[in-house]
Amino acid sequence: MIRDLRLLWRRRGDALQPALFALLVVVLFALALGGEAQALAKVAAAVLWLAVLLAGLLALDTLFRGDADDGSLEQWLLAPVPLSWLVLVRTFMHWATTALPLLVATPFLAELLHLPHEQLPVLLASLALGTPLLSLLGAVVAALTVGMRRSGILIALLALPLYVPILVFGAGSVAAAGQGLDPVGALLLLGAGLVLALVLAPLAAAAAIRIALD
Amino acid sequence: MHPVVRWFHQLGSPPYFERFAARWAPIAYIAGLLVMAYGLYGALFVVPADYQQGDSFRILYIHVPSAWMSMAAFALMALYAAIALIWRIKLCEILAMACAPVGAAFTLITLATGSIWGKPMWGTWWDWDPRLTTELILLFLYLGVIGLYNAIDDRRNASRAAGLLAIVGVALLPVIHYSVTWWNSLHQGQTISLFGTSHMDPSMLPPLWAMVIGTHLWFVGSLLARARADNLRRESGKDWVARLAEPRA
Amino acid sequence: MSYQNYVIAAYCVFAVVMLWDFIAPRLQVRQQLRAARLRATRAGRNTTNEFPLSRE
Repeated sequence: MIRDLRLLWRRRGDALQPALFALLVVVLFALALGGEAQALAKVAAAVLWLAVLLAGLLALDTLFRGDADDGSLEQWLLAPVPLSWLVLVRTFMHWATTALPLLVATPFLAELLHLPHEQLPVLLASLALGTPLLSLLGAVVAALTVGMRRSGILIALLALPLYVPILVFGAGSVAAAGQGLDPVGALLLLGAGLVLALVLAPLAAAAAIRIALD
Repeated sequence: MHPVVRWFHQLGSPPYFERFAARWAPIAYIAGLLVMAYGLYGALFVVPADYQQGDSFRILYIHVPSAWMSMAAFALMALYAAIALIWRIKLCEILAMACAPVGAAFTLITLATGSIWGKPMWGTWWDWDPRLTTELILLFLYLGVIGLYNAIDDRRNASRAAGLLAIVGVALLPVIHYSVTWWNSLHQGQTISLFGTSHMDPSMLPPLWAMVIGTHLWFVGSLLARARADNLRRESGKDWVARLAEPRA
Repeated sequence: MSYQNYVIAAYCVFAVVMLWDFIAPRLQVRQQLRAARLRATRAGRNTTNEFPLSRE
């Protein structure tokens, strides 16, 4: 974990890339929609969720690539610690460096899209629960494609079906709040999913890594 | 050893499977074709027009069995994949991967026929209703499995990785369906149900069952044919394949 | 409203996809057998090439 932190500090420029990409996405959406405050406000939550999701998808490539390239992934197989635990730690560090800046940037991005202020807490809550979920499921996809040279669109294709429930409950919770309904149900589902994924996703990703390195 | 168990072991031998599949695939295809022909004939000419939906409900005789087939194929694929991963049985790897293109084909048929059925019914080619949306995501899952299988060079690793994806997919599919249903209920005004009234007159059912059985038989045929091709591909360096391919004297 | 065109369209889609599903594996099997035959003849040719040198 310490080594991860050190490496990540050295690559701190990388940490800002997802946030930057999200900003670009927001800007493009605003421009494409015409920039009118009312229209933007209606879709703001969804656009923000999409921006975070897409930025996360791009960052997914870096989850295992560094370890795969320098051979430390094979070392993981030999470690005395369970492989799934190593995956969990790595995923957490990856989330902390790629998604946390996004969460911090969200209020600022929300302002750009004229998100109604009442929706911001729900949005942040859904993102706080959803982004780790995205990272965990993304880790499974990244593990399945680890070692592939140009996986590009394949990662997106594999991740999309898995991301759908997260996106639906995440963006949907804000939409529900916007309609005056209680968002807690959706948020609880996200939370429950997160708990399940914390246990199951590393196991699946570990199995995938073993398959890839066999 | 019990004969059935012995037969299972025999199937695992690539040359034996080649002979088995080469013999039974055409039989399954023909049986499926005959049953489907009976079903389609009944669907088109025998069954009276529905008083609410007119003739367009005849499309359902293709749409419904295809939908069931698309999901059954995915479940079977995940089952084969699980067996392959746990017990490392090569034949099950092959069978799992062979399920994918057939399942994807049925999913495509489901989506297309659903869309064509929907146009006169709802006035629109597409609607983000839960079932169609889930079916679309199912198609992406299939394409993902196929894509992953083709992207990895080593056939065994490829089938095991794609098999793992299939298992993850089958576990998440109910979640996906539930999430889309929930999302749909949020946006009021979508009170369109996929089948309208599900009261089917008993006389309308036999062709439907025929189509269900027919598509299953066809699936078996296609599964065996594709498994045969994959089997040959994996064993391509071996002697028995060379001997098989020798031009007849 | 004439549903006939829609019904025909749907049945055509079904027929086309099923046809593809039938043809694709047949082509694959044929391709595999052809490749195996090529490999066999190439191997056969490689072993017989040593002989021409013995002719006077």
